Parts: sequence; structure tokens; C-alpha cells
Amino acid sequence: MTKRVLVYVTLGIAAILIQKFLDDFAAIDMVSPQLIILFVVYLSLREGQLFGMGGGFLVGLLNDSFATHFIGYTSFVGVVAGFVAGFFFKESDVELAAKTFNFAWISAITLAISELAALPIIASGELNYFYVFLKFTVGTTVYTSVFAMIIVFVNGRKSHYV
Amino acid sequence: MLKWLNEFFRLAKNYIVFALLISLSFFLISTNNNVHTRGLQVLGLFTTSYLEAGIHDVIGYFTLASKNSELQNENARLVDLTARIRAAMAENQQLREMLKLRQQTRTILIPADVIGRSSEGGKYSVTLDAGSSSGVRVGDPVVTGTGLVGIVFAVSEDFSLVRTLLDGDSRIAAKLVNASADGLIVSGDFGQLAMKNVSRRYVVNPGDIVETSSLSSLVPPGIAVGMVTKATDEPGNIFKRIDVQPAVDYTSISAAFVMQYVYPPGASRLEHEKGRSRK
Repeated sequence: MTKRVLVYVTLGIAAILIQKFLDDFAAIDMVSPQLIILFVVYLSLREGQLFGMGGGFLVGLLNDSFATHFIGYTSFVGVVAGFVAGFFFKESDVELAAKTFNFAWISAITLAISELAALPIIASGELNYFYVFLKFTVGTTVYTSVFAMIIVFVNGRKSHYV
Repeated sequence: MLKWLNEFFRLAKNYIVFALLISLSFFLISTNNNVHTRGLQVLGLFTTSYLEAGIHDVIGYFTLASKNSELQNENARLVDLTARIRAAMAENQQLREMLKLRQQTRTILIPADVIGRSSEGGKYSVTLDAGSSSGVRVGDPVVTGTGLVGIVFAVSEDFSLVRTLLDGDSRIAAKLVNASADGLIVSGDFGQLAMKNVSRRYVVNPGDIVETSSLSSLVPPGIAVGMVTKATDEPGNIFKRIDVQPAVDYTSISAAFVMQYVYPPGASRLEHEKGRSRK
């Protein structure tokens, strides 16, 4: 278990660093794929809801310390993502859920819900709710889902649907 | 009872942890204005700035050709701009002499590359690879050839963070050139800016130029901010609703200049004394 946790810590830190890279070089009109959320989804599918939520909170907090937005924002999204993705956790089907195209649609659902939950936070102030919803909720969900599909595709896994 | 409680916690464990972690996240968000929280974040940002600088160098190697072409175009544009500035300076000199005004200190420009951009949570900022060692200070305005980018809000030895005009916390005094009306530039909708506090009595049309105002103590006057795209009068509001297209394209900005601007000390001293005498 300790070894597995260490692997997840390494993966989490790598996700944060790659996220910074994606924010700078893969962003389309300031919308970038949320690799951190994909990592949290993976964590939830592999280890369960509780582990996903805890991991989501910690990796989010660490990411917030390295970004200019609110501290606590990514932790919030991470916890919601871990919670939602945890409902898709099946101990007997870990490989199937976390390593096939199921991962892409589970990520899409998780992202849509977590970004929607975070909408009141990012749309605070004078910004237009509908614009923020279109750009950050829909935009981020679609972009990240495409990114998730590419990751699964590159991994060379065959499509399996439950 | 104990058995029932035990069963309850076993079943609701995940929901209780979820509620606790969500509460903790909200608590952290609510403490964002706390000095220690901000300090921790600034420390983290500067740590990643070194990493971003490394990545920027590697990526920069592969984009040298396109950047070179971009810089050549920028150079041609700047040569033209310099010629026009020279003419304007000569005219300005004549007018100053006529008005017997003192020559103001020339603002020093510090060149910097943009090595990072952030746009989450309504916070729009850019990271520059110039810091206090280059002379950058908190509060310095940042510009490009097209206009005002924002204001430096954090500085380390080698890097600085700039709050752009699109940021929800940004407030800059600006002026409509045609209408000679002053107002406040804040972030608006759809990636645009909004100009507030402009009275309905002014005539404002799409296409009108907005530049920094002489009322601002943060930035020198006359720097382009944007162009009016829409100006409407709303019922029950004494001010106009003005949408402004930013002069700077924040999504593609790759280099900028930090201005070592100092608000005229005589003016700030007078304002300070006036404020004290009122008290």
C-alpha cells in the first residue's frame, strides 16, 4: 500500500507540473485540459471514493499554492470530482473502469458536475454567468474529455463498454 | 444506540468526509485575503516560475523561427512608431517650452518575456521573467506595443506577476479620448473590458479610443487601453454601460515592457497633505 501511495504522490506532483505546462502551451482562449481532475478520476476509479476525495483535496491544494487563483478552488473541484467519480468505482472491475474508454466518459460526467459545482465560485463578481458557463464549464469539460480520450487511445487500449 | 451510530458512520462515512473536505475548501477560499495565505501562494508561484522559465527556454528553441519573424514585424512597426514619437516629442518640446513646463523624467522600460499565463477563477495574470534584480517593483505598469497589459502585484528576484486588466480585481482610471470623459476600467463580459462611472451626458460611440487617464496614480496617462465596442444608456442608471475591446491580446502576448513609473512626488505629497488637513 505504501508503495502504491508513493506512486500516486509522484503521479500527483507530475500532474501538477504538466498542468502548468498545459496552461501555458495547450490553452485555447485560456481554457486548458484539466489533467489534475483526470488524475483524481483515475485515483477514485482505482482506489475508491474516499481515497479519491482525499487525493483530490490534497493535489488541488498543492496546485492552488502554485497558481494565482483562489487557494481552495482546485481542492473544492478535486473533492467534488473524487466524490462523483467514486460512484463509478467497482472493486471487481478496476482495470476495466480506469484503463478503457469508460475512463473518458466517466471523466466527462465527473468534469461536467465538478465544473458546474465550481461555477458560482469562478463566476463571482461582475462576470457573466452564461459566458463563464459556456467557456469554463462546457469548454473545459469538452477539451478535457477529448484529452482523456487521447490518453486512452495513446495507451493502445481496446474499447470496452460495461 | 452505539451500534446504530456505528452503523450510521459506516454507511455515511464517505458523505461525512465529503462534507468536511468541502467545508475545508470553502474555509480556505474565505481566507484568501489573509496575508499568510497570500504569502504562501506567492512563494509557491515563484517556485514554479523557475520551472516555467526552463520549459519556456526549451519551447522557445523550437519556436525561434516564428518568433524571429514576429519580432521582425514588431521591429518594423516600432521603427515607424519611433519616427512618429520623435515628431511628437519635438512638438511636445515646443509646447512645453511655450508653456514653460518642466521636462518630466523619462520613464525607464524594462523588457521581459511572458513565461506563464493563468486564467482560473476569474483571476487573469501573467508571469514575466524579469524581477527585482532587473528593477521591477510592485505597482509598476506593464505595457506592450499595443497598450496596457496590467500592474505588477508580486515580485521575486527573477520573476514578477502581473494582474491583467481582465482580472476581476483590476481597477484602472481611464479616459475616453473623443468625449474627454474619465472613468474606471474593470473586467467585463466575454473577454472584454467595461468602463464604469461615465455619465450619460457624454456622447460615446463604438470605435472611440480609451486610454489611461491623467487621474491615475498607477499608470502614466496616454497609454492605449482599448476601443469602445458598445455604449448604451440603461434606464434608471445615471452612468453609461460601455464595453471596451482590450488593446492587448492577452491570449497571445509573448513579450512586454515593465515601466518604472513614479507618480509625480509633488502631486502625491500635496494629496497627502490635503488628506491630512481634512482630517
